[in-house]
Order: sequence, then structure tokens, then C-alpha cells
Amino acid sequence: MNNLLYKDFKLGISPFFYFLPVLTGALMLIPGWLYFIVLMYFCFITVPNMFATYKTQNDLMLSIMMPVTKKNIVKSRMLSVITLELLHIIIAVFYAIINKNLYNSATYIFLEPNIAFFGLVFIMFALFNIIFFPMFYKTAYKYGAPAIVSNAAIIIFASVVELLALFNTSIKMYLKGPDANSIYLQVSILGGGVIIFIISAIIAYKISVKRFGKVDI
Amino acid sequence: MLALKVEKLNKKYEKFHLEDISFKLEKGYIMGFIGSNGAGKTTTLKSILNMVHIDSGEISILGKNFIENEIILKQDIGYIFGGVDFYMKSKVKNVTNVIKRFYTNWNEDIYTYYLKRFKLDPDKKISELSEGMKVKYSLAIALSHNAKLFILDEPTSGLDPVARDNILDVFQELVEDGERSILFSTHITSDLEKCADYITYINNGKIVASKTKDDFIDSYRIVNGSLDKLDNIKRDLISYKINSFGFTGLIKTDRFSETDGVRVKAPSLEDIMIYYAKKEDDDE
Repeated sequence: MNNLLYKDFKLGISPFFYFLPVLTGALMLIPGWLYFIVLMYFCFITVPNMFATYKTQNDLMLSIMMPVTKKNIVKSRMLSVITLELLHIIIAVFYAIINKNLYNSATYIFLEPNIAFFGLVFIMFALFNIIFFPMFYKTAYKYGAPAIVSNAAIIIFASVVELLALFNTSIKMYLKGPDANSIYLQVSILGGGVIIFIISAIIAYKISVKRFGKVDI
Repeated sequence: MLALKVEKLNKKYEKFHLEDISFKLEKGYIMGFIGSNGAGKTTTLKSILNMVHIDSGEISILGKNFIENEIILKQDIGYIFGGVDFYMKSKVKNVTNVIKRFYTNWNEDIYTYYLKRFKLDPDKKISELSEGMKVKYSLAIALSHNAKLFILDEPTSGLDPVARDNILDVFQELVEDGERSILFSTHITSDLEKCADYITYINNGKIVASKTKDDFIDSYRIVNGSLDKLDNIKRDLISYKINSFGFTGLIKTDRFSETDGVRVKAPSLEDIMIYYAKKEDDDE
């Protein structure tokens, strides 16, 4: 399994995509922007490109010939994507800290890049993973439709969250009101996000393994 | 000991059916797996390796059930599926560096030896290797992890005659010590005439015969004669062709009896394939 991960990181993923979060993360410095978009770039750009590379480089054939099982192949592929998701989040956090220090008197129309925001980012990635992987592993090579559907889902998710935070009084209270500054509340939202992210990854893995098992290579 | 045993393998597609595929490969021998394009060669090989889900049947490799021991057995198998066509823009050394981690028995000295022997430059990109070199690279990998069974899907197609001859010599050398076995599919029958010990012939998803090459060829005869002799022999022929001199057909040796005016000779593997394919066309 570690060998499959090594293969993905060494051969499959272009080094450009390790650098991309440094570039996209810098967008966190735009004052008062829609910060969900910063993290969405991973789903818009990196994921389709990664899977296009795997397809054109015939990665599946190489993987299946190695002494591994189909389960290992799904697990390592998911772990490589999740690792990159975490890399995007971590780098975005650094930029968010700079943002908070740079613009401490700024007014945020949309969600502030605080601890709670990153909890919501975890939920966004959870939604992406649970749609993308099970859809992809129906064929193990068609990535277009899964990428479109999962990206559409996260755009809807982010839009709904932002709109609710603007117009729904009770949600606004938690995400933008005076209570929203409570560290306890923010950490709870982050914790909840991480838990949802983990559960979604496990469910996505189980469905993907089941579907990939039926795929003839 | 058997290197490979396939028993009653079935796989049904909408328009194609692998039906009761059974054959055995003894350790230390080369088996040619022949059949025309679309006969089911690649599907059979992929089914053996669990790449394709079979509907029924059992595969054992080196005496063990493949499905139950997939990871362990894959350590002992060397593959070629249509040449090395993955990570074409990566250097040989980088691809090897990734692949070797998967194998517990990887031997770097053997790898270096075969790189030198096959004149493979580790700094070249995969895409810069000729087709023959790609096959040699796959063989070098399989030999370095001490594979016991080589499953090769059309390793010689697309190679020039010199490169083919060269690869066939390597195949023969591989099985010399009796430890390694090769199953390779091809539609180039002259390859098999050079180096196969056994022939398994598949036609339209069914095994026609699986036996030693000599027995296989010996079980058929090519007959030819004038058209007036055709009627007497027609129903025993697998298929036949008519030309201006009369007819030429393929017959099973045990169905043939000496008849005046009908000439007989041993067929080539190609003759057998052609007449069986013609039978399919005629039946349709």
C-alpha cells in the first residue's frame, strides 16, 4: 500500500500540484473574498488533472500488475488525494493567519477565514470525496462526470452556507454574530467538520472498493 | 508440478463468451496461446490474473488458488500486457525505482546484469525505447524479482524479425533450468514453431486443443485434390477452400483415410488457425 502511495507521489502527481496550494493559498490574502473558492481550486484543477494523468499514463494497468489487491489500489489513491487536500488546508491556514493579522479591522461580507471556516472546509471536502470516488470507481477511468458532479455539489454547498450566514438569523448567529468569536464554538465546528470528513472518507472508500471490485480491467 | 492450471473458466459478455476454458502448463515449459484477433486470448489471460471477473472456474498458479493467494502469487509472476505503455515520459530508472519496492525478492545485481545484457540505458525515457527494448525491459523486471511464471500477452507483435528472434532466444534460455514457465499469447505462429513446447489453441472463446506442439500439429492434416474428390471427404473436413486446381482442406488425422487422388501433408500452425477461422465464417 505504501508502495502504491510512493508510486502516486513519485510518478503520478506532477510536482506542480505540490506547489499549487502555495499559489492558490495566497488568494486568502484578498480582503473579504469568498474564501471557499481558495480551497475549491484543488477540486477544480488538481483532481481532474491528476486523474487525467493516471488515465493517459495507463496507471491502472501498472498498479494491477503489482502484487497488490484492488482494495489497496483504492485506498492508496484516496489517501494521496486526501493528503493533497490536507496540504491545501494547512497552507491556506497559514495564509489565513496572515490575513487576520494584516486586516484586523476589515469587515467580512462573506465568512471570515477563522477556525470555524476551516471546519466548514472539511465538510466541503467530505462532500467532494463522497461523490467523486464512488462515481469514479464505477469505471476506474472516467473522471469527467464525477469531477463535474462533485464540483457542482461543493459549489452549491459553499453558496448555501454563505447565503445562510448572510440571511438566516440563527445560522448567522453561529457563524458571524458576536457569539461566533467564541473559540469554543469555532473549535466545535472544526471538530465536527473533521469527524464528518473522516466518516465520509470511510464510506466513500467502502462504496468505491465494492464498485471497483466489479470493474473488468 | 504445474505452473498454471485453468479449470472450466467461464465469462459471459453480451456478444462474446469464454466457455469452459481449461488447460495446464507444466513447470519449465513454454506454452504458446494462439488464436485469431478477438478469439479471447487477452480476456483469458486477464481472467487468469483476476483483472477480469470470471463467472465461474478455478485458477491455480504454482499449486495455489490464485484468488485466495493473489498478493503472494503476484510476487512470482512476470507480466507483459501489450508492452510497457505506462509512464512513457519517465526514465527507466525512475520507473524501476518505483516498481522494485513492491517485490520482496528484488535482486539489484540481477537487474543490473540484465540491463547490461539487454543494452538498456536506465537514463532513457520509456518512450525512447524501441518495442523490442520495452519487452526486454519487462523481462528484466520480471527476472529481477525472480518470477516463476511469465504471462505475456503478445510480447512479439510489433517487433521486427531480428528483435523477435532475439526475444524468442531469451524465452528459451529462461526455461532452461526448469524453474520458470512461460505462457505467451500470439497470433504470429512462426514464433511458436521456433520455441513453444505446448500449444493451446483458442477459437471464438473455446479451447480447440491444448497439447504438445508436435501432437497438436500431428493431429491435423492438410489434404488437397481435385473437385470430384471433394464430395467424398467434405463432411470430414474442418473447412476447405476451392481454387482452380481443386480443393485444399484441413482434416483431423483420425478422420482421414487414404483415398486415391487426395494428397496429404502436415499442416503448419497457421494452416490450422486459418481453416478453423474459415469454419467459423462458414458456420455463420
